[in-house]
Amino acid sequence: MTEQPPPAPLLSVEDLTVDFGAPHVAVKAVRGVSFAVNVGEIVGIVGESGSGKSVTCRAVLGLLPWMARVGGRVSFDGRDLLQLSEAEMRRVRGRHISMIFQNPSSHLDPLMTIGRHVAEPLRMHFGYGAARARDAAIQMLRDVRIRDPELRVDSHPHELSGGMKQRAMIASAIACEPRLLLADEPTTALDVTVQARILELLKDLNRQRGLSIVLISHDLGVIAEICDRVVVMRNGVVVEQGPTREIINVPSHAYTRLLIDSQPSRLSQQHGKTARPAAVATTSEPLLAVDDLSVEFASARGLLGLLRGSEKASVKAVDAVSFDVRRGESFGIVGESGSGKSTIARAITRLIDPSGGRITFRGASVHDLKGETLSAYRRAVQMVFQSPYDALNPRMTVEETIAEPMIRHRLADRSGARKRTAALMAMVELPAELAGRRPRQLSGGQCQRVSIARALALSPEVLIADEITSALDVTIQAQILSLLRRLRETQGLTTLYISHDLAVVRMFCDRVAVFRSGQLVEIGAVEEVLARPRHDYTRRLIASAPRLEAATASEEGARDMDTGSAWKGSHG
Amino acid sequence: MSDEPAAFASMSRKVPFEIALGAAILAAWVILAIGAPVFAGADPNAIDLLAILQPPSLNHPFGTDHLGRDVFARVVFGARIDVWMGVAGVLPPLVIGVTVGLFSGYFGGLLDTVMMRLVDITVAFPFFILVIAIVGMLGPGLGNYFIALALVAWVSYARLIRAEVVVLKNAEYIQAARALGYHPLYIVLRHVLPNAISPIVVYAMSDAVLVILAGASLGFLGLGAQPPTAEWGVMIADGQPYVIDAWWICFFPGLAAVTLGLGFLLVSDGLAHALKVTS
Repeated sequence: MTEQPPPAPLLSVEDLTVDFGAPHVAVKAVRGVSFAVNVGEIVGIVGESGSGKSVTCRAVLGLLPWMARVGGRVSFDGRDLLQLSEAEMRRVRGRHISMIFQNPSSHLDPLMTIGRHVAEPLRMHFGYGAARARDAAIQMLRDVRIRDPELRVDSHPHELSGGMKQRAMIASAIACEPRLLLADEPTTALDVTVQARILELLKDLNRQRGLSIVLISHDLGVIAEICDRVVVMRNGVVVEQGPTREIINVPSHAYTRLLIDSQPSRLSQQHGKTARPAAVATTSEPLLAVDDLSVEFASARGLLGLLRGSEKASVKAVDAVSFDVRRGESFGIVGESGSGKSTIARAITRLIDPSGGRITFRGASVHDLKGETLSAYRRAVQMVFQSPYDALNPRMTVEETIAEPMIRHRLADRSGARKRTAALMAMVELPAELAGRRPRQLSGGQCQRVSIARALALSPEVLIADEITSALDVTIQAQILSLLRRLRETQGLTTLYISHDLAVVRMFCDRVAVFRSGQLVEIGAVEEVLARPRHDYTRRLIASAPRLEAATASEEGARDMDTGSAWKGSHG
Repeated sequence: MSDEPAAFASMSRKVPFEIALGAAILAAWVILAIGAPVFAGADPNAIDLLAILQPPSLNHPFGTDHLGRDVFARVVFGARIDVWMGVAGVLPPLVIGVTVGLFSGYFGGLLDTVMMRLVDITVAFPFFILVIAIVGMLGPGLGNYFIALALVAWVSYARLIRAEVVVLKNAEYIQAARALGYHPLYIVLRHVLPNAISPIVVYAMSDAVLVILAGASLGFLGLGAQPPTAEWGVMIADGQPYVIDAWWICFFPGLAAVTLGLGFLLVSDGLAHALKVTS
């Protein structure tokens, strides 16, 4: 890439600054960011929340709210985009530079067909007639590999899956053959197998059409998968940039190193298998047994249905599932959205009632528990929930939240609960001065620590963790996971760890059960399942997980790419 | 998800101007109502046939009515009834509605179906017509007005809070509270209610305006407070025949009703903004 005089970059961002708010109290979201994107290149911008990566991207397209002040230069194809008028900018957007967003469901108009979404930019920029635009849209949908494009063109967004919607959004974005695509976390809301296919599509578009891409992601694995170069951002500043392989193999900045070391796959390498009480897990008796469990959700019939006596329609969320959790082990449940993994957790904690089968705890059926025995079960089996903010009552302070279970279960009086709350906060590494804060005044990671402390307040034997790190930044995730690992060892907890992320499960669990569409697909020791998956789906799941190592492998392919000649126009 | 606290949540500590102004107006009316004998300076029901239909003067700041009664004194004493109306006309339906909506939303099932059909039936009739019909049946008077309100107005509160609760009960912290083994009653009162109540508070304030104006209208129709009670609606009704020559008889009670309503509305509006940030 360094031979001959370097060609002028397609996009060059120089010393970009973005401030929000009045001058004296301005929040500096982006401070002096510079990077360039060459023709035919995929550049990744990686950073955690608050790093300014999305703001940078929006500044390029002039899509920031009016109170933002933008400084610096953004040259695209020789023009400074920041100097363009709004009318001129509109001719750039969608025509020369377009953008796709994180959540395809909320970025597609629910009242518009997929075809119109794709056709709209063609009609706006090229003045296509309705029939011609429709034909072009069908062709675009075929190009992004949507099956039966002739039928799908008339579908509304709700009729498509998340992955299909993202494909449709990509089709709409590249309809006018733009030269640059800004992709802001395009796969974050998608399942990992779908993510792999979308990334593959982006890469193909890049190769076949010479489409330059800026891929924004919090996930270094995703970036490593397809990007030629990486820009690492933190707190509005570029801390490091360079070829992907170099950045990942020999990061020079401490933050980049932290980011790489926080990847779950790296964590398991660091920690090794030292702490695994594997022998205990295989020999001890089952503590919690799930036997032929089914959960159905009935859709509401309404008054008319009730009068007509129509059949209740129901969805099987969990279908005849059986497994044991043994004392002291860490049991992983892995699956994509809709696999029923959270439903199982909720059935175990008796938040929902199963439609069939049974769950036994120490030999006693969980569903027959009442009164005091139910309370005792609640104390023994505790759960930590997914979203850091939603799992805490917004009106209660940290101290009230953690002390409440002890007081309600009469395990302590007020002063005793207060003392134990302080001890619990220390245990989950929360600074004591946060005791009086409410959830809104805490960070996501701190909220999750409060949730863990609250669950531990009842000294449970089993802790169920339902995707507790999926909403957190990767460096925070690493902290929470190591906290959980430590608690497991010191408190002798049996854990049920639910996740969509195989790497996290590999690091944390002894045994794993893989779920798909409410059914148990495969179960076994983590190493066994991940190294020698027997089921096809497990194999696909493992293959789909983005890996840092991909950067090394994809280097060859990236070099072969002929950037200029791949550019072709099929219409327009 | 950032690992820095959401800084904007706790930024606006000071009381917004709207609430402060609204509260000041309400406080002024409450003080006037309580201290009516002191502030009025005259007996509101003292008839002085030698001084009828006098325009505002130093002696009678708001003038006198067709029986020579001091309008200012009557407005001040009227505040006792109208301010009380804003409280007594709002609180019973609020308590009934919130209780019904809270439990029916949280527990669902048959209770919910029955209660919500009852709500539907009540809502099917125009609010005013229903209130007037009930007062007509029970007989005129403020007490019966409050009973009619309690019977009719609770449905709005029930619907409003039920909608909140139905969403809220799936929140993870409510699930967490269940998983922690708290009693359902405790969960409803300690975790659901405080987080569902803010739209109710806001609505109650604007409902107070409605209740006061409706009460005044009822007074005007002769169904509310009975003469010679000094009540703003009754006063406006009484002054109606003289409105061309003696505008002050209707104007000042009307102005009083407007300012009291404005006070409630300002507080309601301000609360709507303030509560949105924290909840």
